[in-house]
Amino acid sequence: MNTSKFLGSLAAIMSLLVLAACESKPVVGFCSVTLKPGLASAIRLAEDKLGNGCEYSFDNYYTQLLNIATENPDPANKQLFSQFLVGVSERGIISKRQAKNTYNRYFNVKFVSLMGDYNTCSQTCPVRGKVMSDMQQELRDKEQGLMRASEDSASYHRADHLFKETQLVLEATCRACEAGGS
Amino acid sequence: MNLSVKHTIVLCIVFAGLGSSAEPTGPVMQLFPSTVIEDIRETGKVAEDMENSIQDVISRLDLQQQLYTESMCAGVDQDPGCERIAKQLGATYLELLNIMSDKLPEMERAVTNTRSSLEQRLREELGQKSTPSGLQDTLLGRVSKSDNSYQASALRGRSGIRLSNRFKQYYDLVATRRGGSSQSMAVIASDIYLDMDEASHLIAATQQEISRAALMEQLNQSFGMITPEMSAVVSGVKSILFGESQLDTQIASLPPSKDEQAFVSPLEM
Repeated sequence: MNTSKFLGSLAAIMSLLVLAACESKPVVGFCSVTLKPGLASAIRLAEDKLGNGCEYSFDNYYTQLLNIATENPDPANKQLFSQFLVGVSERGIISKRQAKNTYNRYFNVKFVSLMGDYNTCSQTCPVRGKVMSDMQQELRDKEQGLMRASEDSASYHRADHLFKETQLVLEATCRACEAGGS
Repeated sequence: MNLSVKHTIVLCIVFAGLGSSAEPTGPVMQLFPSTVIEDIRETGKVAEDMENSIQDVISRLDLQQQLYTESMCAGVDQDPGCERIAKQLGATYLELLNIMSDKLPEMERAVTNTRSSLEQRLREELGQKSTPSGLQDTLLGRVSKSDNSYQASALRGRSGIRLSNRFKQYYDLVATRRGGSSQSMAVIASDIYLDMDEASHLIAATQQEISRAALMEQLNQSFGMITPEMSAVVSGVKSILFGESQLDTQIASLPPSKDEQAFVSPLEM
């Protein structure tokens, strides 16, 4: 009997401890915010939230920030996003690789989808269709980041041109690789 | 020193110059060594010979076809005049097939040489010596961010011009290119290679058809018939050798670039 009472008390104490631990984390409402223009103040708010237990909301905040930038395009937006991503990666909220990929996916002419350290015959040709499909999707993200958010249509058109040239060059190169059995 | 030797030397100097002054952003590539350039020039010459030898026959065929149509011969039986025109047309058609039969092997050899040499260069330079990231550097490296002279290339699908002119354009592109401001050699090499690959298949298919078509026409000569196949073959030859329609696949052109210094992120690849 005494043992069951003891176990019951222990369970109650454990439950209280778990609840207390949960209370120390931000409640869902704390992280679930609608960021408002302008971009700089929205970034500050997002950084504050991310530094106070809302790391899992990074994707949500980033999408909101992009939407704010798209509604308020400015060439300086690119720099604000860069600073934001460098900051959150330095604080360990996202990895450096994630920061780099995220920035380049939206704000650079070059394609994250076409990267790799092995030769083109062995790495890209076997999955050429998927690579091109990923690049197509990335081009849409570049349209949002470069053209609509940063008013940098020149860079977007270079990315568009790079995409088309890559399509042609990969078609020829992969055909040549295949003909040579590599 | 004859002209072609001089030309080759000049090309070697140009390409040596290109190699030493290339931007350090991408690997130096040897996509167009002098052997490949010579293959392209040779293919253009063979195509021109073939066009010249076939031009006269095609013109005669056109005239005979016009006469046949204007004389209301289509569907008319037992008319001696129409039968005579039909036989003449058939004979000219046979002549066309014979010329093509004579010339196509040479054309096939030239196209195959160009295709094979480009195939090897593409495989080695872009396929095996380059990474996907390097490929992007190669395609982008030639254009600085503030370069206003950047021109969109739209090489593929350029029917509507004579075959020999197409090779002349290819030759001009690779032989007279000056450092860095025009189209990427990787793009040009890819474009020519894909074109040669298609041409090889087309020539093989045409050669297969010619013997059959010649036999059929020898039989038709006995009856003086104009077959739809004759018209189709002649149209096909005219389309391949002399071009029919202009198809321009334009790539989005570059809008005017801004003067201010562009922001460069430390995250940039």
